[in-house]
Amino acid sequence: MHPEKQTHDFEPKIIAFVCTWCTYAGADLAGTSRMQYPANVRVLKFPCTGRIDPVFILKAFQQGADGVLVSGCHPGDCHYIAGNFHARRRFAAFRKLLEFVGVDLNRLQFSWVSAAEGGKWVEVVTDLTEKVRAMGPMTEFKELAMEEQWSGAINTPELKEAYSQI
Amino acid sequence: MTEPIDTSIYSAVTAAIQTEAQRILAAGLVTAIVGYAASRRNGSTQPIIVTDAAAAEKLIFTPASVNNLALYLTKAKKEIPKKGKIGIVVKGCDLKAIVGLMGEAQLKRNDLYLIGVPCAGVLASTVQPSTALTADTIASKCTECDARLPSDCDYVPNVQLPTQPQLAGKYAVEIARLEALTPAERWAYWKEQFAKCIKCYACRQVCPFCFCEQCLCDRNKPQMVDTTPRPAGNTAWHIVRAMHLAGRCAGCAECERVCPMDIPLNLLNRKMAKELKELYDYEAGFEVNDKGPLTTYTDKDDQSFIK
Repeated sequence: MHPEKQTHDFEPKIIAFVCTWCTYAGADLAGTSRMQYPANVRVLKFPCTGRIDPVFILKAFQQGADGVLVSGCHPGDCHYIAGNFHARRRFAAFRKLLEFVGVDLNRLQFSWVSAAEGGKWVEVVTDLTEKVRAMGPMTEFKELAMEEQWSGAINTPELKEAYSQI
Repeated sequence: MTEPIDTSIYSAVTAAIQTEAQRILAAGLVTAIVGYAASRRNGSTQPIIVTDAAAAEKLIFTPASVNNLALYLTKAKKEIPKKGKIGIVVKGCDLKAIVGLMGEAQLKRNDLYLIGVPCAGVLASTVQPSTALTADTIASKCTECDARLPSDCDYVPNVQLPTQPQLAGKYAVEIARLEALTPAERWAYWKEQFAKCIKCYACRQVCPFCFCEQCLCDRNKPQMVDTTPRPAGNTAWHIVRAMHLAGRCAGCAECERVCPMDIPLNLLNRKMAKELKELYDYEAGFEVNDKGPLTTYTDKDDQSFIK
């Protein structure tokens, strides 16, 4: 009945921020339809994609996520009329910012999954999991979080002088 | 190459500001004027609030008039209606900040008396205030300024702006350099820059748009951004700061000027401004808009990045 379970060297942690009206219901549909998808994904339910603050994504990466998925209603289907339109603009801008700071955007996926698209949910989650698995663990933010103290380089004359006087 | 920049108009501008300030204070049109006055260090200026017509002669404008005075309106904005109109001396970049604040309903045009300054540029924060203004000592923001002459002010001194030498836009060059790097190289660059941060929050205190009474980054239930000056919290703070200013920043570069650790903060803001211009054709300007690019939407926004 179940496909043979594969074992991997690396199981990525995927955090999915989903809207309660569409994608959460879509994921629920995938479950009740007995569709199989990777157990790497941790689903966090929000009222709307408009509620998903970019800082949540940063926090997820800092706390050890290897990939992040943000998913909500298709444009025009928002329960709150325009939440996903605002989210679309905000995340378009946020992606550009992360890219400029040097984050690999392949770890960050956005999607529209409606309540009827259990199959699409499975596809999106599987694709992202496999993509992130191939990329290996996300180390950048975790390394930062491991550093316990101020770590700036003392490389200017002013700083060197101030440091020598301590 | 130290091409000098003509700032001879500033003496005429100073005289005109003093005359106008005296007139409007004496006539009771305003109760106070926020402007620049000479400070103790040779050539430097500091913000001053003048409430008496006799003290109007203290007001000056020099290449060292670097502050964005719009800041004093946001922190004091609750007092304005009680006290009457406030006059303020603004450069073009400062006026953009005031316009942005009006768009966000933080200020009312009727509460302000704007004294616009035709500006040939101000000094960079890294040089002594008595230095002559040249292509090398000019502030980075002035190399790509498109707002030398403020518009829609109540009063603008009638002087002719001298023609400027063509300057290479310092931010544009630096953004292009970083964009050409690989993500890993960019991460290394910003990691080094953010590691310097000591979380003094001077960038936040000086920003006219950081007017929230409680900042997200000061909250600890839930704590979204680590408050200690450790690398994780520093990186998160600077990303959140850039994101919260995206589509609002007027590009006055005060954050970068006040940063004691010389982090190129305005680079992030300029990058976001550039992206928002490309994506939604929005630019900070002299026109009051109720909605910024991230508080509005259209049905046809780009969604090529969404599955």
